[in-house]
Amino acid sequence: MFTTSRTPDNYRHKLGAGVLLCRLTAVFSIVFASAAAWLAVDQHALLENMEDLQSRTLPNSMEHQRLARNLEVLRLEGERVLAADNPENRRQALFIVTLMAGHPSLLANEKARNLAIETEIFLTRAAQGSRIDENIRDEWTRISRHLSLTADDISVDGINLAREDVRQMNGLVEQTRQKLHGAVALVLGFLALLLLLIRRMILRPLQQIDHALSDLRQPGSAVTLPNYSLRELASVREAIVQLHGLMQEHESTRDDLQKLAATDVLTSLNNRRHFMFLAESELTRAQRYGRPISIGLADLDHFKHINDIHGHAAGDLALKAFADIIRSTLRHSDIAGRYGGEEFAFVFPETTPQEAVALAERLRAHLDAWVIPLKNGGHIRLTTSIGIADASAQALEDALRLADEALYQAKASGRNRTIQAKTTQLPLPLGGHTDNSGHSA
Amino acid sequence: MEAWVRKLVTGCLLTLPVAASAVAASEQAVRVAVIGNSPPMSYVDESGKLTGFNVEMAHALCATMKIRCNLLPTSLDKVVDAVSAGEMDFAVVSLLATPERRKKVLFSKPYYRSLSIWLSKPSIKPGSPRTTVAVVNGSVQAQHAENQGWKTKRVTNHREISTSLVAGDADATVVPMLTAVSLMEKPSLQALGLESTVLSDPLISGDVCISIHPGRPELREQIDAALDEIKRDGRFDRINSQFLPFRLL
Repeated sequence: MFTTSRTPDNYRHKLGAGVLLCRLTAVFSIVFASAAAWLAVDQHALLENMEDLQSRTLPNSMEHQRLARNLEVLRLEGERVLAADNPENRRQALFIVTLMAGHPSLLANEKARNLAIETEIFLTRAAQGSRIDENIRDEWTRISRHLSLTADDISVDGINLAREDVRQMNGLVEQTRQKLHGAVALVLGFLALLLLLIRRMILRPLQQIDHALSDLRQPGSAVTLPNYSLRELASVREAIVQLHGLMQEHESTRDDLQKLAATDVLTSLNNRRHFMFLAESELTRAQRYGRPISIGLADLDHFKHINDIHGHAAGDLALKAFADIIRSTLRHSDIAGRYGGEEFAFVFPETTPQEAVALAERLRAHLDAWVIPLKNGGHIRLTTSIGIADASAQALEDALRLADEALYQAKASGRNRTIQAKTTQLPLPLGGHTDNSGHSA
Repeated sequence: MEAWVRKLVTGCLLTLPVAASAVAASEQAVRVAVIGNSPPMSYVDESGKLTGFNVEMAHALCATMKIRCNLLPTSLDKVVDAVSAGEMDFAVVSLLATPERRKKVLFSKPYYRSLSIWLSKPSIKPGSPRTTVAVVNGSVQAQHAENQGWKTKRVTNHREISTSLVAGDADATVVPMLTAVSLMEKPSLQALGLESTVLSDPLISGDVCISIHPGRPELREQIDAALDEIKRDGRFDRINSQFLPFRLL
C-alpha cells in the first residue's frame, strides 16, 4: 500500500543541493584566492624590483657613468697641463685637475680617489718643473692609460648594476609565468572536477529520473532507480517509487472494477450489458465488411423445476455447469453472455446461421450428455433450447427478437433442440428427442 | 550683414571669459628666484637672454612639474628672506643647506655637492695677514671670512669680485667651485696669475639644494620627484655639459 513514509529524517544524513553548492563555492574560492595570492607575491616582488631599478639602480648606474666621464675630464685636463704653451693655460688646466681631485664623487670611489690624487700630485710636480722631459711623458702615458681603463671599469660596473637587476626581474617573470600555468591548471582541474560532480550527482540522476517518469506510463514496468547522494534527488526518487506503486494499484483496481462491471458474478460470463456492448461492436464490424455473423439465444429447460425440487444452490450449480460447458464448447472468437435468469446469448462472428446451428447443436448435445453431481450425493441432468438468427443484415435488437422467436418455437416444439429463425429459410427441426416434461421454460 | 556682425560680437563675448582666465593663470604662475649675475649658474648671455646652469635647471623643473614659472632675478643676500617671506615660491640658487638657512626655508634634496675655493694672487695663503678678501654679501663664504676674522671687501655679485681683484681692491677671494671655474677662464684674471686652494671647512662645502617657501611642503615633494626624474632621464647631464667642463655629480 502507498504510505507517506517520506519524513525529513529519512534524508537528514544526505547532502542537500544548497549545502553542496555552498561547499563547492567555498572550496573554489579558497583554491582561486590562494592561487591569486601565490601569484601576487611574485608580482609584488617584481614591482619592488622595478621600483628599485628605477629609484636606486638606474641613478646609481648613471653616477658611475658620470664618474667615468670625470676621470676622462681629469685625463684631458692633464694632457692640457703638459701641452700648455703658456703659464696661464697651464694654471687653468691645473685648477680643473685640482677641482677634479677634490670632487666629492671621485672621493667617494676608492679606485678613482687614489688615481685622482696620484694624478694631481704628478701634474702639480710636473707643472712646477721648467721642462717636460721624456721621463715625465712616459709616466704620464702610464697614468693616462690607467685613467682611461679605470673610467671604462667604472662605466662597466655601472652597466652591470642594472644588468643584475634585469636578470633578477627576468627570473621573477619566468617564475610568475610558471606559477600562472600552475594556477590555470589548478583552476581547470577544479572546473573539470566540478563538471564531473555535477554530472554524477545531478545530471545523470535527472536523466534516470526522466526515463523512469516516461516509463511510468507503460503498464507493468518496474522502477529501477539507484540511491542518490543528494537529498533532493533521493526524495524525488522515493516519490517516483511511491507514485509508481500507487499507479500500479490504481491500474489493478481499475481492471478489477472493469471486470466486475462486465462479468456476471455467478457464471463468470459476460453480463447482459457487456454482452450487448460486445455484440453491437461485432455486428457493426461484420456488417461494415459484409461478413457473415449469427446470434443465438439459449434457455435451460425446466429450470424452475430444478430450483423448486433441488433448491437454489442446485440451480446455481446448474447455471455454473452450463457456463463451463459454453466456455469449453464454443470457439475462442465466439461471445457468450448471461442474458437473464437461465437465458444465455451468443454472437458467432464469421459464422453463417447454418454453421451457428451446428455449433449450437454441439453445445446442446454436450449439455444433454452432462450429469451434474449435487452436494447431497444426488445428481441432475439438464437440457437447453436454442434459437439462432442471422445477424448479418439487421440490427442487434431485430436479430435478438428473431432468435427469441426461434427459441420460443424450439420450446414449443418440445424443447432440447435448436431452431433457426425463419427469415432466411424455414427452421429445420434438428435431432433431439422429444421433450417429455412438457413444461415451458 | 547685420547677422554677421551679431555673430562676431557674440563670438568675442564668448571668448572674453576664456581670455580672462588665461590672464588669471599667468598671474598664478609660480615665482622662481634666480641670481642675475653669477656665471656659469645664471647670467645674461650675449643675446640678452637669461641663462646658466641654474636657470636651465629651473626651466627643466617647471617643465617636469608641468607648472608655469616666472623666473625673477634676485640678489644673493635677499634670496633666503624672499623665499622665507613667500615673495618667491622657490629659488633655484646654489645654496648650501646650512642649519641657519634651514630655520627660514625648506630645502629640496641636494642636487649636487659643492666646495669652496680660495683664489689669490701668487704666494698669498688663506689667512695671510693684511689680505683683503672679496666676498659676496649673503654667501656662506662671506660668513666664513667673517668667522675667520679676515678683512673683507663686500660685493653684491660674482662679477664684482673680478672687478675688485683686477682693481686691486682685494688680493684674494673665496667662491663656490663653479664660480671659481668661471673666474679662472677670464683673461683679465688669468693675467693676475691666481693660485687656487680647496677649502675644506664644512660651513662652505656640502649639499647644494633648492630652497622652497616653508608654507608649501607639497611643492618640495614635487621638486624632489622632478629632480629625480631630470637626473634619471639625462637632462641634468645635458645642462651640466652646456655650462661646465666636468660632471657636477
